[in-house]
Amino acid sequence: MNGGEQAKILLAEAINCEAAAIPDDVRIGGFDAWDSLAHLRLVLGIEQKIGRQLDADEAIRIWSLQDIAALLG
Amino acid sequence: MQAKGRPVLLKTQRFALRSLKPSDGSERWMSWLRDPEVMGPLNAPVRAWTSQELRAHIAGADNAQRYLIGIFDAASQTQIGFFMIDADSFQRRATFNVVIGEKSWWGKGVVNEARAALLDEFFQHRDIDKAVGLPLARNFPAVFNYKAQGWRHEGTLRGHCTSALGGARLDQYQFGLSKDEWAAARREQKQ
Repeated sequence: MNGGEQAKILLAEAINCEAAAIPDDVRIGGFDAWDSLAHLRLVLGIEQKIGRQLDADEAIRIWSLQDIAALLG
Repeated sequence: MQAKGRPVLLKTQRFALRSLKPSDGSERWMSWLRDPEVMGPLNAPVRAWTSQELRAHIAGADNAQRYLIGIFDAASQTQIGFFMIDADSFQRRATFNVVIGEKSWWGKGVVNEARAALLDEFFQHRDIDKAVGLPLARNFPAVFNYKAQGWRHEGTLRGHCTSALGGARLDQYQFGLSKDEWAAARREQKQ
């Protein structure tokens, strides 16, 4: 599984929807289901996946699937 | 302190927003102040305020330098949270803080719906040119809301706050939004 697919699955889990329902170009502010609580679940999901807390510079960069994938390495 | 400025009175699709009066100090509000889940993300200590203390706090808002604006569910007229806005008339700058005390409303777009009406009000009618928000870096829902509403991340203030819970100092972000940026965002929303 590549980083983009992993990112989409993490976001889908945070939103509680099917990964297929998430557009590839999804961005904060452009997809209603990606709300503030989903974002909280997403960041905590990323941190669980990588085994550490994100620092402030990393967390602020999350806008899109590409940004999530970059954090997952 | 006696009210100096014009009270705020606004409506959105789902909410009524109005300047709070000491008589709005309620058991509901006091319960938010005692709740670590509500206060923790704000890095505010839990407080067991009496009704008198809460009412004195509300009375300190003058609708000029400090605003305390209640968010009321329009359907039930129940208060679900409040904004505290500090305005600097010389700098024409307002710093926004918000608490949604009723957890059943978390994740339902309350903050940005209500804040949009307040941004219109402060930029158009209260001589403010710039809005500022200062969430903790780990207050992820608040950070999301600023981003989703089009505020710009202007900087990261490292170790800026002592933690209300003790331990490590906490990072904080500064978000900003100018009057012109908000006007452009509003024009875009209408298209």
